[in-house]
Order: sequence, then C-alpha cells, then structure tokens
Amino acid sequence: MQRRDFLKISAVAGATAALEGCGNPDHQLIRFVPEEDLIPGIATWKPSICTLCPAGCGLLVRVMQGEAEVVREGRLGLLKMGLAKKLEGNPAHPINQGKLCPRGQAGLQVTYHPDRIQGPLARVGPRGSGQFREMTWESATRQLASQLADLQESGQEGSLALITSPLRGQKRAILDAFANHFKKSLPVELAFFDDSTIRAANLASFGHALPLTLDLGQSNYVVSFGADFLGTWNSPVAQAIGFGRMRTGRPGERAKFVQFEQRISQTGASADEWIPVQPGTEGAVALGLAHVMLAENLRPAAGAGHAGLLLEGWSEGLPDYAPEKIAAQTGVKAETIVRIAREAAAHDPAVAILGGAAAAHTNGLVGALAANALNALLGSVGKPGGILFPPLLAAKESGISLEILASQINSRAAAAKVLLVYNADPVFSAPAAWGVRAALDKIPFIASFSSFLDETTMLADLILPDHSPLESWLDDAPPSGSARTIRSVAPPAMHPLHNTRSMPDVLLDLAHQLGGDLASTLPWKTYDEAIEASFAALYKEKGTKIAKDADEFWQKAQDQGGWWSTEPESVPASPAGAPSGVVKPRAPEFAGDPNDYPFHFLPFASQLLYDGSLAHLPWMQEAPDPLSTVMWGTWVEVNPRTARKLSLQPGDLVEVTSPHGKLEAPALVNPGIAPDVIAMPVGQGHQNFTRYASGRGANPISILSPLTVEGTQSLAWAATRVKLSVVGRGKLILFGGSLTEVSPELEHR
Amino acid sequence: MAHRWGMVIDLDRCTGCEACVVACRAENNIATVGEEQAGLSRAKHWIRVERYYEGEFPDVKVKFQPVLCQQCDAAPCETVCPTFASYHTGEGLNGQIYNRCIGTRYCANACPYEVRFFNFFNPVWDKPLHLQLNPDVSVRTVGVMEKCTFCVQRIKAGEIQAEAEKRELKDGEIRPACVQSCPPEAMVFGDLNDAESRASRLANSRRRTKLLAELGTRPKVTYLQRDSWHGDENA
Repeated sequence: MQRRDFLKISAVAGATAALEGCGNPDHQLIRFVPEEDLIPGIATWKPSICTLCPAGCGLLVRVMQGEAEVVREGRLGLLKMGLAKKLEGNPAHPINQGKLCPRGQAGLQVTYHPDRIQGPLARVGPRGSGQFREMTWESATRQLASQLADLQESGQEGSLALITSPLRGQKRAILDAFANHFKKSLPVELAFFDDSTIRAANLASFGHALPLTLDLGQSNYVVSFGADFLGTWNSPVAQAIGFGRMRTGRPGERAKFVQFEQRISQTGASADEWIPVQPGTEGAVALGLAHVMLAENLRPAAGAGHAGLLLEGWSEGLPDYAPEKIAAQTGVKAETIVRIAREAAAHDPAVAILGGAAAAHTNGLVGALAANALNALLGSVGKPGGILFPPLLAAKESGISLEILASQINSRAAAAKVLLVYNADPVFSAPAAWGVRAALDKIPFIASFSSFLDETTMLADLILPDHSPLESWLDDAPPSGSARTIRSVAPPAMHPLHNTRSMPDVLLDLAHQLGGDLASTLPWKTYDEAIEASFAALYKEKGTKIAKDADEFWQKAQDQGGWWSTEPESVPASPAGAPSGVVKPRAPEFAGDPNDYPFHFLPFASQLLYDGSLAHLPWMQEAPDPLSTVMWGTWVEVNPRTARKLSLQPGDLVEVTSPHGKLEAPALVNPGIAPDVIAMPVGQGHQNFTRYASGRGANPISILSPLTVEGTQSLAWAATRVKLSVVGRGKLILFGGSLTEVSPELEHR
Repeated sequence: MAHRWGMVIDLDRCTGCEACVVACRAENNIATVGEEQAGLSRAKHWIRVERYYEGEFPDVKVKFQPVLCQQCDAAPCETVCPTFASYHTGEGLNGQIYNRCIGTRYCANACPYEVRFFNFFNPVWDKPLHLQLNPDVSVRTVGVMEKCTFCVQRIKAGEIQAEAEKRELKDGEIRPACVQSCPPEAMVFGDLNDAESRASRLANSRRRTKLLAELGTRPKVTYLQRDSWHGDENA
C-alpha cells in the first residue's frame, strides 16, 4: 500500500466507526480506536448439526447480517443476508454440551470455500479431464431421472449402485428407500475409519449393534487399547468432556488412564501410563488382564456372562493367557499385566476401550470381543463410569462393502450402469489394490452430489452439488456419545450462497419424476417434510408430556436443535444364556514377508484432516498437528534408533514400499514410536480436492494391502508391512520453527 | 473495582486437541498465510499447543501446553514500544493499537513467550472465505504486530450487556473463544480481582505455576501442572 493511500484510508476510518473486513486488502481500514472501545455487533444464534465426523455434535451458529456477492438467475449482485460467522457447540446438546473440536470449528470453511461447485455440471471432456459445462437443475435432474427410468424399463434395476458416507435419520431413510426400490439392497457405506468391527463385536457380546458410549466422567480406571478417544475416535468431544471431569472434576478423586499402543497418539500423550504393545496383540493383553482377575479371584468368571463365554477357554480361566505366556508375544512384561489387572480390579468403575488400529488388524473382531469380555468381567457394562448403550431408534444395517462392490464390477459378476455418490470419495478412501478406479471406469454413468471436485467427482458425468450443511435442513440420530436418546434436527442456518440443492430433496424430486412404487414409499415433497413426519411419530412416542401437540413439539425441537430424553436411558446387555459358538482368539496376520518388509505400517487419523475429507479446509491445513506441529503437509514417523540404523536425517525424503504400492514423504524422527513401526497420518495425498489440498503429500491408504478384519467386511488397515529407504531431502513445515531447530528436541538427544 | 482478567489452564485436563487454536483463528480473523509463507515461519497462531517429549522409547512421555499471550502485569512488550501501540489497558490486558503500530517489532523481540505475530504482508481471504470474518474484530494490515487480546470484543460485549441490564457481570459469563470451545474444560477465564471467581480460586491450586516466572513478567495466565495418579491413596 502507498503511504498516500494509507492516509486516505485512515481518514475514512476516522469517519466511519464500525468496519467490515473484505477480500480486497486495500479496502481493509485501520481503526483509530483501541480494541476495548469497540461496540460489538448484534448476532443471532441458530442451532445446527456438525456433519464432519460420525459423532453428530450439536452446533450453535453465530449469524450476522452481511453482504454476499451471489449469482441469482444468472446475474451477479450483492445480497444482504444472514451469514454464519462462528460455530460453537450447542450447550443444550447432550453429546458435546457446548464444546467443539477443531474440525467442527472449521465447518464454516465448507460453506465459504472458494472452490465449491456452484451449480449442476455435466461432463463435456473425456472422463477425468475435469471439463464440465454448467446446466440448469431442471435438465440435470431430468437427465438423471431418464437414466434411472431406462434401468427400470429395461428391467435392470439392480444395476444402480449407491456409495455414501454412513448416514442416519431421514436422510438415510430416503437413500435406503431409493436403494431398496432399485437394487433390493442397501447403499454401500464408506468411511475409512468405520466402526463396523466394534458394532459387530458389541452385537455378539451384548446384543447391541452400536458403537461404545463411554461415561469417563465417572470412571475411576481407564484402560485403552489403541483408541484415540480424545482425538478422532468415536465421539471425541463427549469423551474429552468426560476426561476433563475424570481428571480434576471430582475433588480428591483422579482416575488412572493407561494406554496400550505402538505410537503415542494424541490421546496416548495424556495417559498416566503409556505401554507399547506389539501390533495386533491388544486383545491378548485384554485377555491377560482377565486371566489375572480370574486367577486371583478378583472377579468371578460367571460375572462376565455371555460376553465371557463367547471366548474359548473363558470358563477355564483363560489358561493360555497367563501373563508370562503372552509377555513375549505382546511385548508387555508379565508383572505389568499383573499390576494393571490388580489396579483395575481395585478401582471401580474401571473401563476397557478398544478401537482404532487395535480393531483394524485381521484379528480385530476377536480383540474387540476380548475387551468386551474384560468390561463384562469388571462389571462395567451398563453401569455409570462404564460402557453404555442408548436405546436404538432404528436398527442399522449395512450394505456390502466397497471392496466387494468393486470386485463384483471388475469381475463382471455384477453390472453397475448408474452410480450415485454422496459424501464419500471412494477413489481416495480405498487401497489401490481394491481396484475402485478400474471399477468406476466400467460404470457408464456416474452422478455425484459432491460440493467439491474430489478424485471421484472428477470422474462424474453429472454433478448435482449439495447445499453446505449450514445451508441445509439436517437431522441425525447419533448412536453414541451420550446415554440419552437423541434426535437432532436443524433448519438451515443461512440461505444458500450458490445454485445448489439438498441431496435428499433431489432424490425426492427424482422419486416423483419416476412415479410408481418409489413415489408412494417416499410421500414427502421435501426433506424437511420427511423430518417433520419423523418428529410427529416421535411426539406420539416421547413428546406428549412436553408439548401440547405435534406442531409445538416440532417447533421446540427446531429451536433447541433436537429432542433428547432428560435422563440417560441406557439399555442393559441383552443376550441371555450360552452363546451358540465360541470364538478362538488368534494371532494377527500381516501382508508382506518380515524379511522383505521389516516394518509394521500404522496409518492414523489426522487430528485436523481426519480421514482426508477435511484436507480442503485451509484452517485445517495451517493448524499445526498436535504432536509434530507439521502444517500443510504429511510425514512418515520413524523411531530415533531406526533412523540411526538407516542413516536417516529428519526431513529426509523416504520411500515407503508395501506389497501393494509405494509412496514418498518426508521423515520425522519421533521418540514415541516403536522401532519396528512406521506411522503416517491419513489425510493428505489428494490428487484433486480444491486449491488447498490438490497435489499435496501422499496418501497412505493407497498402499495398504487388502486384508479384512476376519468376521467382518472391514479393511484391516493396520495389517500392512512396509520397507523404507531414503531417497533424498524432503520439505516439512513445522510451526515449532525450521526443521533443524526443532529436530534436536524431536529426537531428544 | 475494575476487572482484572486472567486465565487458568489445567494441564491435567488439556488433551492437546487444538480446538482452542482453530476457535481463536475463527473468532479473531487470523488469516492463513499458505504453505510458502508458513515455511518462512510467518504463520500466525495467537494460541498454540506446545508439546514436549521426555525420555526414550519405551519410557516416553508427552506433555501438552497451550501458550497464548500471558497478559503480563510487567509486560516487556509494552515498555519497548516507541509509539505506545503496545500498552496496558485499564483492565490489565496487554493491548495493541494497530494503527499506532509502525512495525518496529521491538515488542516481539522483547516478548519471552513468542506470542506476537508480525504481518509481513496484507492478509488474503480467497473469496468468499472473507464472508466468515467477524465484524467485531479489526483485520490487521501489513506492517503491524498482532496478538491475543483475551477476546476483548467478547469482554466488551459482556460488559455492555451487563450494564444494559443494570447488573454485575456473572463469573464465567465472559469466555474467550478458546475457553468456550475447549472440550475437556481445561481453560477457565475470569476476574482475578474477584477472589471468589473460579479463575481466582483455581489460580491458588497447589499445582499452580507461571510460565517463565523467573523473568518477573507477572503473567495473568496460571498453569496448573499435570498431576499424577495417586494410586492406592484413594483406593
């Protein structure tokens, strides 16, 4: 800025009191007044729902009037409208109680992202070229409707495929009705860090196909196996609130927290005792703890009921899991297991948590069953301070996995003619070995509801961009995080900025265009009508005491951000009697010969980019990772001893090779990782995902071997082995300063 | 009696999650600088989470510590400013008047906590990201220093509201963005002149420490050291 301009602008600033910032820096005026003399503007607060991870936290959106440049009916103009300015947790919401994680805070940038797709697009260039032309919603929905009508008329209803993120509430119901009409099956649900192994284990042990709901605020002893429950796992905000109370919220009482894992996670950093364990043997440690409690008569074997009897050798006291017998296999000293078992048994209520990588080994399901049995033995199931199960409003079933869909298409066992993709990026989120890209190439017509040109949407023939969550009606029924029954609902917090439409509204429109059975199973014109109908049903069941009629109930729910029970409604474990069969605990399998691939490869959820779906948000890219302080990039973590052996300097570019692919990334020397483990955050490595994420770093998912968790369809994402070689110098940006300044501390020499 | 704002951060609760970091950026219009400038150490974070590794594998510990402006009573940044841009407010905050600042950066050199950030260039928000900007907080231009204000705009809003309703401010009514978002409730904000405020009481905890207390800066941020398990004491 020229000095003359500065003075001119300063003079203007003196004349106008309150100023708004805007994009052009020359228009940003400097205030003459100190900050404490300012007069804040008036804001309104509207409830909403965070959709960025499966936790389903409630939001309060700070909305203030502003001017937005928008295109309406083809003309650009300035529109005075309510604009979301800040997201806070909704204090009334039972899950996050007014609190919000860093990812949730950044949800604002989804709405205001400069690279949002602003209206429907049709592909014009070759597939994958990224060449699209704008079109109207009328012709876009007509095009998709005619594709679907063709399937119906030619009797090929089964060749519609749907891939979505795991959904709940009426959005899920609408999508399911659609899938069921065409395919007589459910949509393929895709989440890289899915919880299906935990849900399968909880169904077998306790009769509930639900994730865990913890009650850490009342726990006295917490043993976690690989679960990043304070960072990214399950319902992290609810769990962090409980953790704070568990630590210093109860005068005179402070629980102990023990973490077993291979690399100190953000959660592990807060542990009172951090214990490294061999990958895939977390379940064995849980059974070792149970063995000690049984052998020392700290708890009766029968106390665990069904959850214990499921496991082979339980009634005999788990003789194969004596601490000295498993010490070599697990890497945990026998005396440590004995001590932890005694401490846990002596500090009611004690709770065991297994998740993350521990559930993503080939034996992950058995591991989760072992942790369940340990909880049952401790007597913590359905008890305050233990694990709870809120009543489930609707049974949650899953369709086939993406791996199976891709292999059916690739082997021509099933033909997919039309694919709809919603809130998922299957090309990015699947190992290359699944052949997802090749499968998509075989599908003649792909329609995406994405707001951004990600790897999958680049391949779409038709793009029907969804509203951002803040611009949409939303509903949700989160299955964990609180023992209360919760039905969240939120009207749009602001008007749409662009020419977008809500995905469920588009599906309802399509259903009406297609008519017939589908239109009669989906009687609502719009998504909010569907939500209102579900709240009318909920009123009859739950709301008659708090509202005089369904309308008042519906209004109250919208004002509050949903309806929830006033008290916890945890349901007891339900399976009775002896289980039909017993499960034999087994050793984990790994892809790759240890002689060729000496290291275990541990991908982990990024605290900021999560599973990569948030890599397009500049706030997330520039927030320093909590443990490494890396910004705008990715890295590979190596133990200092391993680094010395490989003559590896921090910041060196290393090549990580698995039996199924390779990638390059700069190395970070981390004292908190086992010497035989190489860790890497998931999140970067997008080829296409807006100006902030495209072409940045490498994607660890791509090189994973296609092993599954035995007994489930889930990817065993912690079961790949790799080798490592130095190939040059890399670039790593640390907030702690330049790499050379930071590395001595990181290496802790 | 005038308010004297202070903060207590319980390191036994802090999980290092960075919610405070992002909440602060959202509230205070802190622009991202992009990869290249971040690589030149020009990224701005009014609050950051420091982490310290101790020991060698397998006996490793990590500790988190959020660091923001300590709002010192004897602030080294204030005395060195030739234009009185860095000054002490009536409520004890280390204020920064942006349009008095001529960018000598003496304050940043004097601050032992490294919580002051210089604008090496005009901030940029790729449109329409600018629509998120908080109109209560001025945008800083090239050549000026910026820093944590304890969310003075929220303090002011709370004081005006209380005055309009002809009542005293309630303890806990004003919360800076970092405090409001913090999931484990590790951060407590309040009036240190009110001996009964939660912040005042917690600041007397047996676990209290001040960051670099030996420098005599008299910070108004108190850290409560991480505790350890007392084992069978309470068994």
